[in-house]
Amino acid sequence: MRAVEYTRPLVELRSGDEPRYGGKSAALGELLEAGIRVPPGFGLSREAYAAGRAASGDRLTVPADVRAEIAARYEQLGRSTGEPQPPVAVRSSAVGEDSATATFAGQQDTILWVRGLDAVCEAVSACWVSLHSDTASSYRERFGDGREPAMGVTIQLMVDALISGVLFTCNPLTGDPSMIAINASWGLGLSVVGGEVTPDDYLVSKVTGELVRETLGDKRVEYVPDPDRPAVLALQTPADRAAARCLGPPELAALVEVAKAAQACFGSHQDVEWAIARTGSVPDNVFIVQSRPVTTIRTPPSADLTPSRSAISMVMAQFGAAPPGKD
Amino acid sequence: MVSPTPALGAFPSPFSIETPPGCEGWQEMYPYYALFDERRRDEDENRFWFWNSMHFPVPYPAFDVISIDGPYQAVGSWQNRVFAVPPAMGIDYRLVNGYGYISGNPVTDPAKIAERAEFFQARAGFYFENWPELYETWRGRMQALIDELVALEVPGLPEYEDDDVAYTTERNVSFYEVLNAYNRTLRLSDLMWQNHFELLLLGYGAYSTFAEFCKAQMPDIPDQHIAQMVAGIDVILWRPDAELRRLARLAVETGADEPFAEGRTPAEIDAELAESEAGRAWLAELEAIKEPWFNMATGDGLYHYYRNWKDDPTIPYASLVGHIEAVRAGRDVERPTEQIEQERERLSSAYGDLLDEASRATFNDLLALSRMVFPYVEEHKFYCDYWFLTNWWNKIRDFGALLTRHRFLQEVEDIFHLKRHEVGEALDELTLTWATGGLPLGPRHWPAIVTRRRQIIERLAQWTPPPALGVVPEAITDPMTIMLWGVTTDRVREWASQSEGGLVLNGAAASPGVTEGRARVVRSVEQISEVLDGEVLVCGSTSPAWAPIFPKLRATVTDIGGVMSHTAIVCREYGLPAVVGTGRATAAIKTGDLVRVDGTAGSVTVVEAGSAA
Repeated sequence: MRAVEYTRPLVELRSGDEPRYGGKSAALGELLEAGIRVPPGFGLSREAYAAGRAASGDRLTVPADVRAEIAARYEQLGRSTGEPQPPVAVRSSAVGEDSATATFAGQQDTILWVRGLDAVCEAVSACWVSLHSDTASSYRERFGDGREPAMGVTIQLMVDALISGVLFTCNPLTGDPSMIAINASWGLGLSVVGGEVTPDDYLVSKVTGELVRETLGDKRVEYVPDPDRPAVLALQTPADRAAARCLGPPELAALVEVAKAAQACFGSHQDVEWAIARTGSVPDNVFIVQSRPVTTIRTPPSADLTPSRSAISMVMAQFGAAPPGKD
Repeated sequence: MVSPTPALGAFPSPFSIETPPGCEGWQEMYPYYALFDERRRDEDENRFWFWNSMHFPVPYPAFDVISIDGPYQAVGSWQNRVFAVPPAMGIDYRLVNGYGYISGNPVTDPAKIAERAEFFQARAGFYFENWPELYETWRGRMQALIDELVALEVPGLPEYEDDDVAYTTERNVSFYEVLNAYNRTLRLSDLMWQNHFELLLLGYGAYSTFAEFCKAQMPDIPDQHIAQMVAGIDVILWRPDAELRRLARLAVETGADEPFAEGRTPAEIDAELAESEAGRAWLAELEAIKEPWFNMATGDGLYHYYRNWKDDPTIPYASLVGHIEAVRAGRDVERPTEQIEQERERLSSAYGDLLDEASRATFNDLLALSRMVFPYVEEHKFYCDYWFLTNWWNKIRDFGALLTRHRFLQEVEDIFHLKRHEVGEALDELTLTWATGGLPLGPRHWPAIVTRRRQIIERLAQWTPPPALGVVPEAITDPMTIMLWGVTTDRVREWASQSEGGLVLNGAAASPGVTEGRARVVRSVEQISEVLDGEVLVCGSTSPAWAPIFPKLRATVTDIGGVMSHTAIVCREYGLPAVVGTGRATAAIKTGDLVRVDGTAGSVTVVEAGSAA
């Protein structure tokens, strides 16, 4: 056993591993532990990043010993799927990111549909380099916790998503904790996260699963795997499909369960990226691909209905008989 | 939903409303004080008035105005003079082309508000602290009132008085007895209204405080979930229908179900039942539950049109036919009370669990208070609006029969075209001329008046009142207007911006679900039997008394009403999408239109105009 550990399967990571593996990998490990469907994969530690830095400076290429560990893990993933070179998503999992105080949303690279060891290592290197990209650094200066910049990487099997999107375990606009807010669009999740489409917008009661409100979007772009090379393609969506509702009652019900499970897993409101695979059937093909704490929750106003007053005095206030603050 | 900065439309001035052709002189049916009058034009024109289509969906016959005066005398007394609700006195009403518009009287002086707050806190506090006992005695008082009403005899005018008038002091002469009985009948109505509103304001207040607390903590919570958490399970309003379900099972079990078939009248069914042993036994069972459960009304009882099930068994028999069919098909006709109760508890604890500890404690306290008061909020309707009022109108019919016997009227129902003081006047003349043996003018006076007024009422019924008159208010702050009618600032702005018409109507989402169907516009209770299977009921407001026909409906749309009403709860129990408080559904939608009802979003769309029926 080496003193320095470069990789570990996601399923073995816990929140305590965040300082080494970054928030994203650690969170996915927690979800897996809680029995929530997450595509299998592994995390790269900050030691791997440090080794890259030591070996190649700012070029941040993947050194041989790290590459060897990645190769072993990747092969393992391949064996589990029966596909020797399975497509994976490579995402940064920066230490200090995904903390409860600031969301470095989309600040580091996410590279989808990567196939083969060479391509995986290139993608890892690209993630490492992005740590120093201008936008991410300035964001970090403003919101970071002052630790030495470091970065983990998450490598996960790709879900060939028929539908994907983002959900919040509360309504982020009103702060209502009894609601789940879901955005959804066709294809891979890039279009929703990147703001390239107006996704379908659903508000679902966490208590009863009822659809409380829905606004169908204009989902004019759909990302799909490129059949000819390991990359994704942006397709123009036909008008009828762009306007069509992408989630039905079974999908919504499955996402409600996923949302509740994620919230329970972390004990706080979560901002979850999810995907529904093209194959399989609901709910078994519904996956969380990442989850992080909601940092922008609006606190519900309590106006003159300050809690902790007696029920009768609150009724009095309703009739204008007990001004706020006086019992 | 309103847009954040709605275009502020204006409502018509109450003085600009034209009289429909052929309705000239409609004003004479009503008290002088009930009209928009030039002598107070400045004041009235600068107020906001809304059509109370919940209580006054059709034009008021002259006599029925007692159902405006009585309740507003009573509600104002409690609100303004007993509890002294700090910011709101009572409600003013005016009649326009026979339809009632109302406007609250606010209290604006801060010193006055503070003075009233002291009364309110002491008195309302007493009520909340003693609610169960107060409600118990209330029930006793209502029962006594109903007993007195039922026992009240409308005397006749005999050729010669009985011996006990001549020889004892136990009875008075009949002219006095008739006038006294009429007077007492009117006063019994006043007493009923006094009881009706004694607990109602505070009951609604507790409920709406809970609702607002829920919405402050969970801004997107559907109103129907709030209502579900509070609604009683075993309130007596459910009893009449529960009895019908029981009788339906009994009919099938005892083989008395044969006569019950779609399209047959209650009389035909009864006649066939009477021919068999099982049928007669079943009829005896039915007879046994009529008191009190057939005192359910066919409508909300404010008009004389609403009869109880004893007088008009159309609704219970239609309901029996449906229940019997279900029993024959092996379906469960029992109301799933256990399930409803479980869901109520599940919702309550699930919502409570979402709150932090302090908020949860408040939530639980307010919920407990709401549940304590809510049985009254639901049950007063049975005692007052149905049981008392339907029997009370029958008492008025007895006076109508007396006047008809003496040819002052041509038929009993004509009495409702006289103002109540005119009835007093007619009885004065009748008793006078009976006593003197003189020639009564009444038979040459009243019938022509009745004929003219009947025509006016028929024509006014064709007219569609605008949802509001006068100025568009900055905000609706009157707690009563908001709590009782669901008229909020948002709703008023919608009315204002929609007054030009359009194919989409917005209202409150009262019961979730989306559906399409042909509209059936029902403007009075007599039309309720026209509703066909699978239609969307469009009406001023629905009444819980209509519940038995709900299984036929696909959805419900109303002009006015809030989501806390029992009606909304009934819709939810039947799983019917409902949109309430659209302001103008009965005006904008025609029978036969294909409408899409979105009870989740609270919108109604006319998809396709129906062919003119």
